[in-house]
Amino acid sequence: MADVRVEGLRRQFGSLVAVKDISFVFPQEAVTCLLGPSGCGKTTLLRMVAGLERPTAGTIRFGDRDVTALAARRRDVAMVFQYPVMYRTLSVIENIELPLANDRTLSPAERRRRVDEVIEILQLGDARRLHIDRLDLGSRQKVAVGRAIARRATVTLFDEPTTNVDVHAKLALIRAFKELRRHVRQTIVYVTHDQTEAMTLADQIALMHEGEITQCAPPRELYDAPNSEFGGWFLGNPGMNFLSARAAQGGGFVVDGVPFPLVAPAAGLDDIRLGIRPEYVRIATAPLPEGVPARVQRRAVAIGGQHLVTLAVGGSRIKAKIAPVVGPSRGVPEIGADVFVVCPIEHAMLFHRGERLAEPPRRLASSPGAAG
Amino acid sequence: MAGSAEATAATSSRRTLARGPGRGLLAFLGRREVLPTALIAPVLIFFIIWNTIPTLWLLGLSFYRFSLTSGRPPIYSGFYNYTSILNDTSTWFDLSRTFIFVVLAVGIETVAGFFLGLLFWGSNRLPGRRVALTLLFAPMVVTPVAAGTFWRLIYDPTFGVLNWFIRSLGLPAVRFLSDASVAFGAVLAVDVWMWTPFMVLMTLAALASVPKAELEAAEIDRLTWFQRFRLVILYHGKFILMLGILLRTIDAFKTMDLIFDMTFGGPGTATQLIAISLFRSAFESFNMGSSSALAVVLLLISIAFTATFLYVLYLRERRTSDA
Repeated sequence: MADVRVEGLRRQFGSLVAVKDISFVFPQEAVTCLLGPSGCGKTTLLRMVAGLERPTAGTIRFGDRDVTALAARRRDVAMVFQYPVMYRTLSVIENIELPLANDRTLSPAERRRRVDEVIEILQLGDARRLHIDRLDLGSRQKVAVGRAIARRATVTLFDEPTTNVDVHAKLALIRAFKELRRHVRQTIVYVTHDQTEAMTLADQIALMHEGEITQCAPPRELYDAPNSEFGGWFLGNPGMNFLSARAAQGGGFVVDGVPFPLVAPAAGLDDIRLGIRPEYVRIATAPLPEGVPARVQRRAVAIGGQHLVTLAVGGSRIKAKIAPVVGPSRGVPEIGADVFVVCPIEHAMLFHRGERLAEPPRRLASSPGAAG
Repeated sequence: MAGSAEATAATSSRRTLARGPGRGLLAFLGRREVLPTALIAPVLIFFIIWNTIPTLWLLGLSFYRFSLTSGRPPIYSGFYNYTSILNDTSTWFDLSRTFIFVVLAVGIETVAGFFLGLLFWGSNRLPGRRVALTLLFAPMVVTPVAAGTFWRLIYDPTFGVLNWFIRSLGLPAVRFLSDASVAFGAVLAVDVWMWTPFMVLMTLAALASVPKAELEAAEIDRLTWFQRFRLVILYHGKFILMLGILLRTIDAFKTMDLIFDMTFGGPGTATQLIAISLFRSAFESFNMGSSSALAVVLLLISIAFTATFLYVLYLRERRTSDA
């Protein structure tokens, strides 16, 4: 077991730079999720760590060991692929045992113990003697996960393992993965484009965008305090609201001509963007000191009975995710209704040129909402 | 579902056709079973005229005593031709020579082709790969008669290029095609030269059918070279490889043109394969009855090869569908 340190890691395909000089440490015995949209370079980064892709520049270290020039088989890595890779002529147990069987340092008893442990955790006991062709895709991927975990490799890599299995198998896989985590501590790098999966599994999430790691933090922190507009937009369903604002006279904010009762920390900055997650936006039917007049444009019922309301503030749109007070739609305003939007100051954040400003917005002493 | 949709489509097209001019013919063609039959008819007719009828004719002739030189009409003789062929030791010698030839030729071609294929597979980014592949495949596209002719020239003891090399090493010239102890090997070598590329091609096709992720997994799981070959490459590639072996086996069994041009079965009977003796019996002795019988026997052997292969294939399919 060791941490994985990459330094100045770069991969270029012709003129396309898939991974841009990334320096990062994947901590020991933790699950680090590489999360990002398709084509952000996360799989390329993972494949370089695995040794399946040669970096254009930079170094990869497992602990103190420099593995940059080593072939995959010499690195001691285990990997689960997008598509369940099986040795098709073998049974379930033989599949899990095969990579261990080539390890001369392992005693047969220890080998059997590890295989049995994994089979038990994954609840594959009934299928252990079955030929692999008799399993469905989901179970096959489970076997692939078992094969990787039983290796106890220095680093275990997962390349979007749930992409090609159905929803139930996906949930079963995630459950199995969490169960395995409770028993076996390993250095794991898990690539996914599914934020829910990353939020569920990761100790920390490294958010990737256009070949770079933009932020790395524990799931909750990444969600609550994205350091860039990309992070706010990519995480959450729907993503964060962004309102383009101008500094107004008297220190306030103006969004499309509508004054906001907030103050930017560094006055004078132009093109400030105010960010707030939909679930923190409040809607009031009566004027409040912090309220901003708005009109309901659209409403839709989201999963779990929550309502997604789109509001127009001046020319801008803002989305709110609200739970009805009682009954199916009670407390959710009708389309076309004039309401007041409240962006609670403790959940609002400011962005400038895509980056989050370190200081949060402050409340304006005399609220223009109350004055108007 | 699909069947009923098809039926509906057919019905509607029939209706459309029936409304047009010359509706009798169109309606007839519009019937479900007529048009497909009409479309395959030319091939079918060709096949029947040039394949089925001659084969049946051959089968019939094999039961008659009929020689083109005697001028007498064919005389029915039952299984006489078959018994005399099977009682003739020279048939058995020719057959066993042919089997040795087939086993050696196909064996060497398969092994050499597989390793050459692996070599080319690993050289994806090497410059000159295409040129090398083109050169490698050149022997395959040469007409066997032409290949036979120029190999006869290469092998020639007095002015052949191969003997020029041998003599320049200070060794005595080798009479490749007229020395009974060398001729078989010399002919075999030409067949290998000619058909190894085919097995390279089949190997490359087989290797291309192996998913990349499985090879990467094998690398990560630290499988040995042999495990990788057995568990990954062979699993995915065996069907195509076996198809190549079957095609080569049937083809090698029929080898005639190459030998016809180089040794014509000589010296003595050193390179007399069964196809050569069939040719001799039919077109030198003009013994049509017994050569027909021999041809039928060869046909049966070829069918046996194919049946074995299909049986193995069927086993494979049944195992997969069980899953």
